[in-house]
Amino acid sequence: MKKRNGTDGSLLASLPWTLAALTFALLPHLQYLPAWIIVSFLACAGGRWLIERQRRRLPPAWLRVTLALSGFIGVFASYESVSGVGPGSALLAVMAALKLLETRQRRDQFVLLFISIFLVMASLLREQYLWSLPFLIAGTMLTITAWLRMSISTDVSIRDTFRTGGRLILYAAPLTLAMWIFFPRIAAPFWSVPIDSGSASSGLNDRMSPGDISSLSLSEAVAFRVSFRGTAPEPRRRYWRGLVLHRFNGRTWTGNEVTPDLRALESIQVRGDPVGYEVTLEPTQQQWIFALDIPYQWSLEKTFMGPQHQLMRAQPVDRRVEYDAVSYLDYRANVDLPRTARTWWYLDLPDDGSNGRTLELAKRMREVAGSDRAFIDDVLAMFREEEFFYTLEPPALGDNPVDRFLFDTRQGFCEHYASAFGVMMRAAGVPSRIVLGYQGGEMNPVSDYMIVRQSDAHAWTEVWLPEEGWLRIDPTAAVAPERIDAGMSSARFGEAGASWGLRAPAQWLYRLGLTWDAVNAKWNGWILGYGPENQTRFMEWLGMDQPSWRKMVLALLATVLALIGGLSFLLMRRYRPPRKDEAARLYRQFVRKVAIRPRDGETPREYAARIAARNAASARDADAIADRYLAARYGPPDAGSLEALRHAVRDFRATRAW
Amino acid sequence: MAAISEKSAVGAHIAGDHRFRWLPFPPLTAALTARAERWARKRQGTDRRILRLRSGRIYILPTGVGLVFALMTFAMLLGSMNYNNNLSFVLTFLLAGLGFVAMHQCQRNLVDLEVSFAGADPVFAGQTARFRIAITNHSKHHRYNIQLFADAARSDTRDLGPGESRVFQLGIPAHRRGQAALERYGIRTLFPFELFRAWAWLHMDLSSLVYPKPADPAPLPPESQTARGHRQHDARGEEDFAGFRQFHDGDSPRHVAWKAYARSGELLSKQFAGADTSSQWFDFERVNDNDTEARLSILTRWIVDADRTQRDFGLRLPGMEIRPAHGDAHRHRCLEALAMFDEAKCMKAAA
Repeated sequence: MKKRNGTDGSLLASLPWTLAALTFALLPHLQYLPAWIIVSFLACAGGRWLIERQRRRLPPAWLRVTLALSGFIGVFASYESVSGVGPGSALLAVMAALKLLETRQRRDQFVLLFISIFLVMASLLREQYLWSLPFLIAGTMLTITAWLRMSISTDVSIRDTFRTGGRLILYAAPLTLAMWIFFPRIAAPFWSVPIDSGSASSGLNDRMSPGDISSLSLSEAVAFRVSFRGTAPEPRRRYWRGLVLHRFNGRTWTGNEVTPDLRALESIQVRGDPVGYEVTLEPTQQQWIFALDIPYQWSLEKTFMGPQHQLMRAQPVDRRVEYDAVSYLDYRANVDLPRTARTWWYLDLPDDGSNGRTLELAKRMREVAGSDRAFIDDVLAMFREEEFFYTLEPPALGDNPVDRFLFDTRQGFCEHYASAFGVMMRAAGVPSRIVLGYQGGEMNPVSDYMIVRQSDAHAWTEVWLPEEGWLRIDPTAAVAPERIDAGMSSARFGEAGASWGLRAPAQWLYRLGLTWDAVNAKWNGWILGYGPENQTRFMEWLGMDQPSWRKMVLALLATVLALIGGLSFLLMRRYRPPRKDEAARLYRQFVRKVAIRPRDGETPREYAARIAARNAASARDADAIADRYLAARYGPPDAGSLEALRHAVRDFRATRAW
Repeated sequence: MAAISEKSAVGAHIAGDHRFRWLPFPPLTAALTARAERWARKRQGTDRRILRLRSGRIYILPTGVGLVFALMTFAMLLGSMNYNNNLSFVLTFLLAGLGFVAMHQCQRNLVDLEVSFAGADPVFAGQTARFRIAITNHSKHHRYNIQLFADAARSDTRDLGPGESRVFQLGIPAHRRGQAALERYGIRTLFPFELFRAWAWLHMDLSSLVYPKPADPAPLPPESQTARGHRQHDARGEEDFAGFRQFHDGDSPRHVAWKAYARSGELLSKQFAGADTSSQWFDFERVNDNDTEARLSILTRWIVDADRTQRDFGLRLPGMEIRPAHGDAHRHRCLEALAMFDEAKCMKAAA
């Protein structure tokens, strides 16, 4: 009698492939999943494989139930939610692990394969890279291999299974492509479920505490890409405005919660020519939208301008977005800033006596300078001419960070200079604030667009002067002008980069990187960004007159039906018995001349005998034809026997009386 | 024809068929299937015993797994649309495409197979009649996952290589003597992904002879009589080897001189001289039982035992007599007479 929980090794042919498909589908989730889930999945998978190999028993039901409960509680404890891609993929992984423990029959693996497909899908929802397409194809291939292993008998070699799977995928590929192209895309989602990408590392912080972090990580990740309508502005004017901080507590700069301000745009007086461009912003999980200083028009939905001319989206950027924007590089803003705003917002300093030396220095310098303008120039000159250094690895500053920076360490990057400058301005009665964003950007010569990376993140200062409004002052430019003029990225690869202690990769590697980025940009634009507009454009290019979803659905149906017709034909040819050989054809010709038909299963000789019985006159001819046919069909290959058969059949006359 | 088939309960068979167990309302499905089967029968007519499966007679429906797969793909489509995620569109459409491909592949996996009846050996009532059906794959490519089915019976699931021919067996329980009929059977496949089930119904009107069930226990057979007036046509016992003679139909293969055949190509039977030349008559009228079926059963037991001990026996049925003889052919002739025995007809013939 069979043991109830026993295994019989019947899964040996398919289980490894099911496990491989599941593991492969889990790969992109590894960095987001808690370690305990990965460990338990691997333990269950390995354990299940051993159980099958050694024909052991499956764990008892009470243990499985306990494990299931603790697994689900664990997921809930780790995520505190069950919706979204993060908890969803964690749940799938836990379910796969548990299902493995109760997989007894071959067909139980269906559930596992469905889970592996969902895992692939979840990873695609989370992130879409260039390798995601090969990943999804490989994942599907593995899954259907496991599927075939499960449903065809065990003595089929894995090579045959691969060939079958590959053939079926090849058949499906044109259908997939047709459906992908013609399936009408819609703009608005039906419902909104957050997709957490888990990586909060990209993007800017909404606070700034110079001196807390003693080194700045230089992430090469792309923040956004820009294609300009005309020529790109020169490097030192590429300030990408992000968020504005105006509250300083002696240590940390923070901003207010931003609300839409309809008068913000009215407070800008623009001069000169507009700059038009399109930005493709990578997901940041934050609400900031970046545009050249100062943005004037933008096309992104649910995006507004705050009172400090920062752009903000009503919901976090959780997937790649594209928007058109127009900026003016010459402008005046808030020329008539109310006195209360100036004092309450932009002149406020903590009165706890922190950074006292800085305040004293600022007041003294302002007295010497005589005017605000001269004072600003003097401070910039101080940064430029005294022993201040630009470094990405400054020492930590501790208490009174501005004092420490200005009088002791004198080493820092943009945040340190912007902060110190802002504090000095306020101390001397000049309203100031900090702007965070990106500075620079690198033109990709491979394909004409600009890449702005996370390492281009920058902080600068704005001061308010009567009659002039807000003026952008970048104290970092005084210390490290090459940082501003050439941009961070190119600086790293030049001599200046070497002097900052950065390793300069070989030039060709750098070019290769740019090419790769260009391919990525095209991929993002055309494949990932194949939305309603791109689709309409593509349909028009295909020759569709005024594309609408109705027409696309019709085109979809027509193409799919045509392809299925082709597929059907292909399969028909595949399984059609091979053409009868020449000998068989000649023999059929002979049969047609004879009045009696061969019976089912009658051999040629029996048939000839029957002919002879009916008509003695044909006996010899019929015998000869049977002999020659057998010789031509089954004898050693010989052109002569076929020729003899042909003659015999041709000369056979059925004219004799039957 | 005295065929005793289990025609009466076709619907009941289908209702009990495990194919429909997972469906929410089995009686309805069973009724629909019965209707479809009648329709197919009318449409296709009676089939020859050897035939090629044309695409017109192959039916296809999604399986339970196929329905779940379709549901999953639809859910994925909604998800892709919601997030406007072009890569998950690719995955979704790839799966949908595979679904379409699976449907056509599944159907084509059966088209142009050659199905032929390869016989069925007689069995005793209560045993299982095994119908042998040969399937030949004339194409140059594998056919996977082929299975025969008839009501509750299932054959093995096998693959057919290029040009390969395989004999599948369908076991039909034979409850009563006469003929176990296999009016309809099917050939089906789930290849490639078990998303679809393609099948063809075949109506070859096959039947297999069912001997009566040997009675157990049975009364002792009548005394054997030494055959005096009998033709001394060949020797019984195996006591003394007496020489060779030309092989005749009906000689036991055990007595064929195979070594001599290998040498000379001539088929000879060994002759034995023995004292035992007795024979028995088994007479329907003289069986001590009133019930016809019981009598037939007892006669069957006697014949089986007599055959096992290599004795001559003859059979007398109302209106019919088989003279004493021995051998497989004789045994079959007698048992067939018992299997097909129709009392009313025999009485009429006797009268």
